[in-house]
Amino acid sequence: MMETLKNILVMIELELRRLRHDRTEIYFRAVQPILWIVIYGPVMSSIRAIPTGGVPYTDFITPGVMIQTTTFVSIFYGLMMVWERDSGILKKLLVTPASRYSMVIGRSMASGVRAIFQALIILPIALLIGVKFLYNPAYLILAFMIIFFASGGFAAISILVASFMKTRERFMGIGQAIIMPLFFASNALYPIQLMPPILREFSTFNPLSYVVDAVRGLLITGDVSNLLLDLIAIAIFDIIAFILASISFKRIIE
Amino acid sequence: MDFAVEVNNLVKIYDKKVRALDNVNLTVEAGKTFALLGPNGAGKTTLIRILTTQIKPTSGEAYVFGLNVVREGSKVRKLISYVPQEISVWTDISGYENLLIYAKIFNVSHNEREKIIDEVLENMGLTNVKNDLVRTYSGGMIRRLEIACALIIKPKIMFLDEPTIGLDPVARKIVWERLNFFKKEYGVTIFFNTHYMDEADLYADDIAIINQGKIITRGTSEELKRSLGGEIITFTLETFSLKSEILQEIRKLEFVKDIFMENSNLSIVINNAEIALPYIMDFLKNRGVSIGKVSITKPTLDDVFLKYVGTRIEEKGRISDIRHMRYMIKKG
Repeated sequence: MMETLKNILVMIELELRRLRHDRTEIYFRAVQPILWIVIYGPVMSSIRAIPTGGVPYTDFITPGVMIQTTTFVSIFYGLMMVWERDSGILKKLLVTPASRYSMVIGRSMASGVRAIFQALIILPIALLIGVKFLYNPAYLILAFMIIFFASGGFAAISILVASFMKTRERFMGIGQAIIMPLFFASNALYPIQLMPPILREFSTFNPLSYVVDAVRGLLITGDVSNLLLDLIAIAIFDIIAFILASISFKRIIE
Repeated sequence: MDFAVEVNNLVKIYDKKVRALDNVNLTVEAGKTFALLGPNGAGKTTLIRILTTQIKPTSGEAYVFGLNVVREGSKVRKLISYVPQEISVWTDISGYENLLIYAKIFNVSHNEREKIIDEVLENMGLTNVKNDLVRTYSGGMIRRLEIACALIIKPKIMFLDEPTIGLDPVARKIVWERLNFFKKEYGVTIFFNTHYMDEADLYADDIAIINQGKIITRGTSEELKRSLGGEIITFTLETFSLKSEILQEIRKLEFVKDIFMENSNLSIVINNAEIALPYIMDFLKNRGVSIGKVSITKPTLDDVFLKYVGTRIEEKGRISDIRHMRYMIKKG
């Protein structure tokens, strides 16, 4: 247990050191979410077609857009594992005393660090265009903790997928094919009640919905009545993702 | 005493059809530098990956210092370090940071960490560039950094998969000087794969030649060369082939130990080439064979390979080798 925790911290340190040397990826990844909240948000907002419970539409989608970007970061983290498979890094890590599942969890959580930076970069821009955040430090910290752990889960899912893909080109396509359905079939852009019934069912199993709901409650609406349910759902999602990724991990190496 | 490596009847079959290792038996003494020499695709990497607990054998057993690599994998991993053929350091952080991360993964204690990292950096000649991004290193420097990472735990045995592939001769020499220094200092056993004959010849105490998953012969470089029986005269003939009766006649000459024909090259193994040469020249001339060129060579490991396998390592390796090199270059 201590061993796993230590490996997670080492992998997080690795990620922080990487970010210290090169942050261009984070800047470029910020372009898309900024377009959503700077252009799409205000335009849709002027139509007033989507009931958001009294919150301005741009405010409503800001958490969703943030989570979408961080999910992108995590899902493409699996791509890095494929790259490391091509290089010798993964082989070498496997020959160290560190257990395989601690490597999987460690690498996954390290993507959470990247996700936090990615989410942070969107905050000032949202503020600039007038999104009203709740100024509650405890809520803010909790929201970022949720982003951190949820990203870990999504990264584990991407390791799982990477273990079946094995080439970068295939993975690029699959990455998009996972994220966009998750995004559109969630409450990121519109309340679940607006969806057709089938999609509503799917949304119940969509981890992204729980993450968006929790973060929206903590950052924008202050409605935390579902928070406990959200946290439990995210915890279950993380555990399942870690277990599946650990099991399939050896496929990446062989 | 336990051998550093002991392999019994090891078989590895990929996808139920490709026989990468075919009943391999092998022992390596502790404290020696051992080379597994063979063309690409011979099974060298598969054997190293089994010994380093990355993949499981189909059948047979393998031990590292008496520990079974399948059943006691986690104990084995505490004793060994491994440098894969491909680049195995993070290129977007500095050399020092790579070592720091590995030291933490290997559980090197907090107080010793700095000292050990400084020591391996110094020994690998990387102190000056330790804070530069690995991306800016040359191929030889990256290799030395990888070896430095492998040395952090002072392993009992190091597994190196093609340690000098793609390096220029000077970089190669430096890598081996550093490795030998460590071997002397700490008595670490070195197990390496190579398809460079001269590398095995120069640096290995003990060599096994592998081809198509089978160990073909083994011994010290001297023993292997001596097994060929002497020096070699090679005639480049102007005709492409030679009648088999003439070959038979040459074979019957009392001082001829062995002959082999490859394309238009006739190689004759003889104890003392200088004395035999004029006689054989006359012999060939009398039978109407015209000779383009003559050369005398002391045996090399390549000749050993040619004798046991029937082709040269270089020829077998060439295309896949180029492909691999290009691949490495493409990846930077």
